Amino acid sequence: MAFDLAAFTRFARTFQKGEMIFSEFEPGDTFYLIQSGRVQIVRVVGDIEKTIDVLQPTEFFGEMAILEGAPRSASAIALDTVKALEFNRANFEVLMMGNPQIALKLLKLFVKRIYDQKRRFMILKLDDPQAKVADVFLMLDETQPQNIQEGEMKREFRTTVGDIAHWAGISVDECRQLLEHFVAQRRLELFPDRILVKNINDFQRFVNSKRKR
Amino acid sequence: MPKLSAFRANSVIYFTGDVSDKVYVLQTGKVSLNYTEIDNGQEIRDPIQMGEFFGVKSALGKYPREENALALQDSTVLGFTVPEFEQFAMANTRIIMKMLKVFSNQLRRVHNQVENLLSKQEQVSPEIGLYKTGEYYLKNRMYEQARYVFGRYLTYYPAGKLAEQAAGHIETAENYLSKYGQGKGPAPIESSGSDSPRPQQGATPSELSEVAQTYYNGVSLFSQEKYSEAASEFRKIIDGNEDAEYVAKSDYEFGRCLFLTEKYDDCIKHFTALVQSYPKHPELMDILLYLGQCYEKKGDVQRAAALYKKISGMSTDEESSARLKAKKALRELEGEK
Repeated sequence: MAFDLAAFTRFARTFQKGEMIFSEFEPGDTFYLIQSGRVQIVRVVGDIEKTIDVLQPTEFFGEMAILEGAPRSASAIALDTVKALEFNRANFEVLMMGNPQIALKLLKLFVKRIYDQKRRFMILKLDDPQAKVADVFLMLDETQPQNIQEGEMKREFRTTVGDIAHWAGISVDECRQLLEHFVAQRRLELFPDRILVKNINDFQRFVNSKRKR
Repeated sequence: MPKLSAFRANSVIYFTGDVSDKVYVLQTGKVSLNYTEIDNGQEIRDPIQMGEFFGVKSALGKYPREENALALQDSTVLGFTVPEFEQFAMANTRIIMKMLKVFSNQLRRVHNQVENLLSKQEQVSPEIGLYKTGEYYLKNRMYEQARYVFGRYLTYYPAGKLAEQAAGHIETAENYLSKYGQGKGPAPIESSGSDSPRPQQGATPSELSEVAQTYYNGVSLFSQEKYSEAASEFRKIIDGNEDAEYVAKSDYEFGRCLFLTEKYDDCIKHFTALVQSYPKHPELMDILLYLGQCYEKKGDVQRAAALYKKISGMSTDEESSARLKAKKALRELEGEK
């Protein structure tokens, strides 16, 4: 999608390769639309810096800044020389009114964010920690569609114990214990770089039985 | 073309769980969206106003419907496919703006619900999180990132419990960056692993110099609005005249203290001398802005306006806050005439 942004260059910012655009945990009140260059979204987990995403031109980032005062949930680093439009409360309306295409794109992004947050809320609302962990796999299965033959119940997830713990809102240690419990029941296999769920329907039934109706 | 459909009273327009690409607008009659609140299991009935869109989120996101849409009386609705809706919305940006507002409120709400649940569990405070992020980058010799993150720490938590360490780490990052370069050199700090970071021991470059300590002490006092006490810290650095960088920074901060304690004549004297001896001061625009404001406070509108004009005309890569403020001040001054 090409945007006609000539009139909005006064809101343009340039970041040098390697420059930090914002850091995880700092309060945010601006968000960005990439015009050129790539932006790496990273989070420091324990002793490793994890790349969550690499964003391309015409993509937004930092849009959760509309949640006033909320700390940034990840850092953004310029992977190339990056040109981006910087949105804030003051210029938001002007930029949007002049660019229906951008406004529509942002609308769709909000739709996705609302859905993601609602889904996360449903996981956290489960009382049973074992069910929380199972529901994280169901969420991953819903949001990361894989090429799976009809009737295939086995699912492989490129994820780590730390990620699952993050989504389930529990400690990594607790999460490891819960996952090992599934392993002992032969419902799951744990590898350093991936986790194999043997029967996703079995997890669905388990979560359904724990979710209050 | 959007299609008009009629629904009899008590009939269902769509069910929870349906997947469809239809967005609707209520034309006549009464429609209610019924769903169960995830938070507390409460049954919600959300009436739709005439002319209001519904079914937007699930259609745009290709998600299953999250509510039952029920006609309460005989009703007509206009159904758009997603491409039709997009075309319509692009020509009516106000509609998108309105929806953006509604959706951002919904996002805020569900985000808060999530945060409330999470806060019952153990969470890192943003202050500690920011500090630890900086520590990670320093440890991994990513000096530029470390400098940025600790700089942000000092901006947001100038009087924070780790402010002194953060200031020390900035110095270390800067030293290592100029001495070894990004990604090179010995790791400046060891893996801490503990929750209570401590200042480095021994004669490493991370040891905070006395001048830097005084400076950050001043910055911290300034942030607590103790301007006179802050001013005397900055004064010490200016008089000591040891480290040119800290002297320049302190000169600026000292002038700001004078302004904030309403010593406008002293402030004018101080900043005028500073601009003359240091015409390329990194904070030049802000210094001129303070000068303008001093003159304005003293009633010297002409001089104030001249300074604001000068700032407005200065060229920079991007819109600086000093220039925006100067333009605004100028507009107000001119409005008063």
